[in-house]
Amino acid sequence: MTEVKLSIGYDEFEEGQRIGTEIEKLSSSPESSSLTSLIIGDWGQAYENSSEEVVESLVTHSASFPALRKLFIGEMGYEECEISWITQSDLSPLLPAFPELQSLTIQGGNELSLSELKHDKLEELIIISGGLGKAVLEQIATSQLPNLRKLELYLGVDNYGFDGSLADLLPLIEVGKFPKLTYLGLKNSQIQDEIAGALANAPILDQLDTLDLSLGTLSDEGAELLLASDRIKKLKALNLSHHYMSDEMITRWKQSGLPVDVSDKQESDDEEDWRYPSITE
Amino acid sequence: MRKTGVILPSQSEPLMRPMIVIGIPGDKRTSGIQQARSDLGMPPAIILSYAEFLQGRSLGDLMEEQKKQIPRQSSVYNGVDLSAAPPLLRLESPGSSFEIERAIIALGAPDSEDMDDSLHPFADRPDPRPLRVKVARQLKEMQGVLHHPSQWFRGYCRMLARLQREANTACPGSLWLNDPTDIAAMTDKRQTQQILSEAGIPIPRPVGEDQQPTDYDSLREMMLSRRMHRVFIKLAFGSAASGVIAYQIHPVTGAEIALTTVGVEDYITRPPIYYNSGKLRRYTDTATISGIMNWIYQHGAYAEQWIPKAGLKGKAFDIRQLVVLREACHAVARVSPTPITNLHLRNQRMSLSEAGLSESVQEQVRNTAVQALAAFPRSGVAGIDVLVSGGSQQCFVADVNPFGDLLYDVKYRGCSTYEWEMKVLSARDYITPPSTPLIKEGLS
Repeated sequence: MTEVKLSIGYDEFEEGQRIGTEIEKLSSSPESSSLTSLIIGDWGQAYENSSEEVVESLVTHSASFPALRKLFIGEMGYEECEISWITQSDLSPLLPAFPELQSLTIQGGNELSLSELKHDKLEELIIISGGLGKAVLEQIATSQLPNLRKLELYLGVDNYGFDGSLADLLPLIEVGKFPKLTYLGLKNSQIQDEIAGALANAPILDQLDTLDLSLGTLSDEGAELLLASDRIKKLKALNLSHHYMSDEMITRWKQSGLPVDVSDKQESDDEEDWRYPSITE
Repeated sequence: MRKTGVILPSQSEPLMRPMIVIGIPGDKRTSGIQQARSDLGMPPAIILSYAEFLQGRSLGDLMEEQKKQIPRQSSVYNGVDLSAAPPLLRLESPGSSFEIERAIIALGAPDSEDMDDSLHPFADRPDPRPLRVKVARQLKEMQGVLHHPSQWFRGYCRMLARLQREANTACPGSLWLNDPTDIAAMTDKRQTQQILSEAGIPIPRPVGEDQQPTDYDSLREMMLSRRMHRVFIKLAFGSAASGVIAYQIHPVTGAEIALTTVGVEDYITRPPIYYNSGKLRRYTDTATISGIMNWIYQHGAYAEQWIPKAGLKGKAFDIRQLVVLREACHAVARVSPTPITNLHLRNQRMSLSEAGLSESVQEQVRNTAVQALAAFPRSGVAGIDVLVSGGSQQCFVADVNPFGDLLYDVKYRGCSTYEWEMKVLSARDYITPPSTPLIKEGLS
């Protein structure tokens, strides 16, 4: 596998470098024909400039990347851009441009759209965001991705763009929507308990290997419903890490013998509000 | 005024100075120094207490008292009677002692008996709502509360000036490991960055090359007009993560995010109280953000470009590089899930190699740190905070810490930081300031 990451730093952008030019340069380099994975990092002050230029340039030069199977649009950390400020765009033109694509990862939910979400070979769709809009959830619900095996959505909070509710997620877990799905992640959510409740006895569990409800606000309430379910017992992995469950609940999970990850317990705010002296070095 | 510190090296027998440490007896630092000296078979340093000095005891008095308590023969090292040589003076951090903090704030009062502001780089800038001596002495300890940073710094500079004065008379010929003038400059970030910049050391670009912002409004205006949307604002005299804000504004929507450990307690009838919280806070409302920033700016602040730091698995890091007598030694990468990498209780420590830095970048970190300390020619030891930018792997100096050598679990050539310092100081026959070429190189 060959992988390349393209990124435009703050100063580079100020000096006039552009992501489109970098993509074009890559497309005319000898490595382009064998490149299997392309990561687009910061396309240049992504809080101000959308990913539209990335999409246009990749579509224009798609023929130069015949081996490309994995694409990541927006891999950047908080040192480059606040995740909730990353400005995306309509990424769906990428799909027909890369018919052999197997994995698409998107970071940033602002202005994100997947208006024509149709692809015969896509196996993985991962969207990392601080808040995913319900319009995108609806686009996923009406998508045609017959080969999708892994769907991982970081749903986020309403402050950063999550304007949906459980009702917007239910179409995604209907049996038959993604017949080959084995990994479902509905995570990083402020309604994690509700999601856990809805999934606890959902028929879709029968086809899954992995259920990922991590990084959210899962508490004993949602955990209780999961633990009471027979369907979760068939899972090969249940990821509940980064949660707000009680110690007692953690013990019950450990005693259950299920392949569950209950690491990274979060403390409520009050307990964390300790103070430190100013002059320490 | 008598000049301290310049004695020519003796060719025949090395003259080693006794060490006098002004610090907090029994704390980690002074104990660490004594332990290292004991492990190396060196006579103990004489430890003088800041608390007693601040109560009005003179440096000379304290020294005489301590000397009496030390058995005579222990001052002989390698056959040399150390009591004969003029001492090497080492200031330690005034530390996290509230008693000392309060005494320093009182010393910085407008009605203090000691008004020697000669070491204060911005002495004429008034401190907001100064506390009179009596009020300062009645301050109550409140965990984490930033009582009066600018008055503390004024008092601190007065204390340094007094130490310098008294050392001149009490121990002629003595030499400072770090000169009080340099310590004052290193403790004020505005001055530190200015000195580094003039010396040509790479630093993050300041917000406003010629004139720094003075409050929240002017900061925002400068950020927008200069298209510098991500900055760090630092209380000029904070240490560790105290009074540091990672701040960004959205150029289109005007939204803002401030990540900081500064917490606020609001009251209806009196000004808010600002404190260091152990938890990183995220503020997005203008009222709170401007309140904190204006308070920091009133006391004195420095703002600079937020350099996207190199990272590892989604975490960012900076480097603490110790420099002892123009040689880079112990280094540690402070890896943090937050932009504020020096929030000491939340970060993870790694070697530079573990953090993924190539040998050539590590070399660049060392060189940058050595050059940074060289910009303070009267100082021999400092912990330099070096940022490595994520993309270009360029090095920038973010801070120079005169007491930045309290680093645990880091070894350099098999030595702890204090062991290494003591070894280098004795081996190099540290009898001249590090800026002069008279240090005998190559003995270590």
